[in-house]
Amino acid sequence: MPLEFTRSDPLTFGVELELMVLNTHDYNLVRGAPDLLARLEKVDLEGEVKPEITESMIEVNSAVNTRYGELLDELLHVRDAIVVAADRLNVAVAGGGSHPFHKWKERRIFQGERFQRVSGLYGYLAKQFTVFGQHIHVGVASGDDAIHLTHGLARYIPHFIALSASSPFSQGEDTSFETSRLHAISAFPLSGHMPPVKTWAEFGRYFDEMALYGIVASMKDFYWDIRPKPEYGTVEIRICDTPLTVECAAQIAAYAQTLAADLLRHRGAEPVEPLYRVYGYNRFQACRFGFDAALVDPWARRHVTLRDDLLATLERLEPCATELGTAIPLLSLASCAARSLNDSRWLRERLEETKSLPDVVRLQAARWRDDPRGLSRDSSVLADRAPT
Amino acid sequence: MNPAFLPTLPFALSYPLLFGTLLIAGMLGGEAARILRLPRVLGYVVVGFVIAPLAAALNLDPLIEQARIFVDLALGLVLFDLGRRMNLQWFKRDWTLAATSLAENALAFGAVFATLIAFDYPAVKAALAAAIAMATSPAVLLIVVQDTRAEGQVTERALNLVALNSLFASILSTILLVSAQLEARIDVDQALLLPFYLFVGSLLLGFGMASFARVIARWVEKTRDMHFTLIAGLVVVAVGLATILKLSVILALLAFGLFSRNDERSHDLLNVNLAPASRLLYIVLFVITGASLPLTLLAAGGVAAIALVAARAAAKFAGVLAFAPFGVLRLRQAAGLGAALMPMSTIALMLQFDVARHFPQFGQDLTAVFLSAVIMMEIAGPIATQWGLRLAGDTAPEERTTTAPSAFPGTQGSP
Repeated sequence: MPLEFTRSDPLTFGVELELMVLNTHDYNLVRGAPDLLARLEKVDLEGEVKPEITESMIEVNSAVNTRYGELLDELLHVRDAIVVAADRLNVAVAGGGSHPFHKWKERRIFQGERFQRVSGLYGYLAKQFTVFGQHIHVGVASGDDAIHLTHGLARYIPHFIALSASSPFSQGEDTSFETSRLHAISAFPLSGHMPPVKTWAEFGRYFDEMALYGIVASMKDFYWDIRPKPEYGTVEIRICDTPLTVECAAQIAAYAQTLAADLLRHRGAEPVEPLYRVYGYNRFQACRFGFDAALVDPWARRHVTLRDDLLATLERLEPCATELGTAIPLLSLASCAARSLNDSRWLRERLEETKSLPDVVRLQAARWRDDPRGLSRDSSVLADRAPT
Repeated sequence: MNPAFLPTLPFALSYPLLFGTLLIAGMLGGEAARILRLPRVLGYVVVGFVIAPLAAALNLDPLIEQARIFVDLALGLVLFDLGRRMNLQWFKRDWTLAATSLAENALAFGAVFATLIAFDYPAVKAALAAAIAMATSPAVLLIVVQDTRAEGQVTERALNLVALNSLFASILSTILLVSAQLEARIDVDQALLLPFYLFVGSLLLGFGMASFARVIARWVEKTRDMHFTLIAGLVVVAVGLATILKLSVILALLAFGLFSRNDERSHDLLNVNLAPASRLLYIVLFVITGASLPLTLLAAGGVAAIALVAARAAAKFAGVLAFAPFGVLRLRQAAGLGAALMPMSTIALMLQFDVARHFPQFGQDLTAVFLSAVIMMEIAGPIATQWGLRLAGDTAPEERTTTAPSAFPGTQGSP
């Protein structure tokens, strides 16, 4: 049976945010998802809040949006609803790609057939998979467009890594990486990138072959950084850590939308194979060094720093951004990149200040709920960069 | 010839030997209980029951009596830990939690009081016993929570409710004790001043200790080891000070814990895990508790003791269930929470000792009834708590024995 691709309105977009559920005494992960979800069922939300693989995670799914402003408003609304529900239960919720000091052994797999099956298959990897990502969906008109966009976005994966990085700590240690979350994903056999297929029909043949071998049953079994999502009619970017604020999450989604618009409009004929030969290296550089990463440009055959590449891209996207209404969020991202501000740096500064990871997580949770003490980087950026 | 370097008979038992023996025996009892899928606490207590007659035969009774120091220290740690996990904000944010607390305390007091009146005990004594019966054992709850690795709504609510009912029980029993002593010649000044002194004094002591801890914390290296020593040391000091100043150890230590919580502005103190070290003291605490309970009283308590236990249990369940429909808990969780509040142990015993010491008229008969009830709950309480936390789904799944991997990648694709 050929894999059907459901058409959707091009450039509509939405996000999924995986969030951590914490206790309020030592800010470790806590088994709070079932109770929190039960509370949220009673609230009228546009999107959806769902369980994830362990009982210390929840996942926010936004509705399908067309404009950045709508998405931001929706995320703020969901965030506030979660904060109210969490307060009633004496738990806290926070963003961030990994919990700084939880022990994976202590996690409990959510009740549910799929989660239990994944846990049975992957063993401790499933519990180590207690990491928190932001997924961004961008709508496309056809399967062929999805394949084109998946390859096109691959070049920008390091940008998304550096912008969203918020998991410098893992299992109680500073990993020296800007994001440690991606190690948890790389361990899975079907991680990495899509093979260099050119059309949806070709992709369908690849999928059938993998299904024949019994390696996959659905698209969900591919843990690629970017993958087509035929059921939704979207391309899904899965590389980002969950940022510490919903504002930042919306800005990164706006970047994805703008890039997609540009890639669908200006279709180059560059072959994708050279890119995939350096893909793993560039990805590592971005995970390790963030904005300072030295990326390989396989077509120009030279190195370029991630920051310069990102700033140049943002500048190039300006006309497109103005059209889509994403100029302001892109300006914020440019300002962060220019000043090397990302959430990993913020977290490291908090550790420097408090010398205690539980206190870092407390501040992380305060930041997510937009506590005034959350030292919001976004508002300060808007204050000094917003066009007047 | 009798060389001076040889020990003389009979051997004099020393504290180290006593502490070590109680600890190992208790630990083994705990393991036996675990194998039988019972709470470890139960094992500790039963070891105490067994040791008591042996100790009496060997004339060790006074030594066990003097070992009360371990009990006080263990209790200090329990209360401090509990205070750290208390969140007063939560009572404001979820009115059903505050209402549940008031209801379970009021109902437990009322039910036990009414029961004892029905058995013809005088009102003053009945009220004292009822006040003490409000308390749930924080140590039993904490140990069961640790052993079952329980986490979730029921666990957190139980810990907060227990902190409050221990507090209410200690304050109310102290006030009743004073008014009982003053019954003959009521001195209004003193009757009003004592609760004030107890309450404000203990709070101030707790606040003072927490502030002092923060000051020292700024001076020492911010490592877990240093902060552990700091906290453990100050907890012991706080117990000592509260005793000297005739303040409420319970309130002072709860307050110390509560004021030690970090917030967005102050994070000088690390939230060190006291559990592994305090376990040593907890084991000894429960062995001594078991040893100090005269099992012969179990029968002497008779029907009155059974009625007391039943009334208290029913009241606590009713208090929790009454507000469950308005709150966030499902019925299963509410039932689990009710069960978690059952244990009656150290706090009750300590308050009862105080009452018996200051108010001998409390009487042999009521003491028998009360201790008999404590003995029953010493056994039933931990089981109820473990069952309740399990029912609520808060306990960690039991460790499965390792089996050969059954899943093979090839099987994943099959529908």
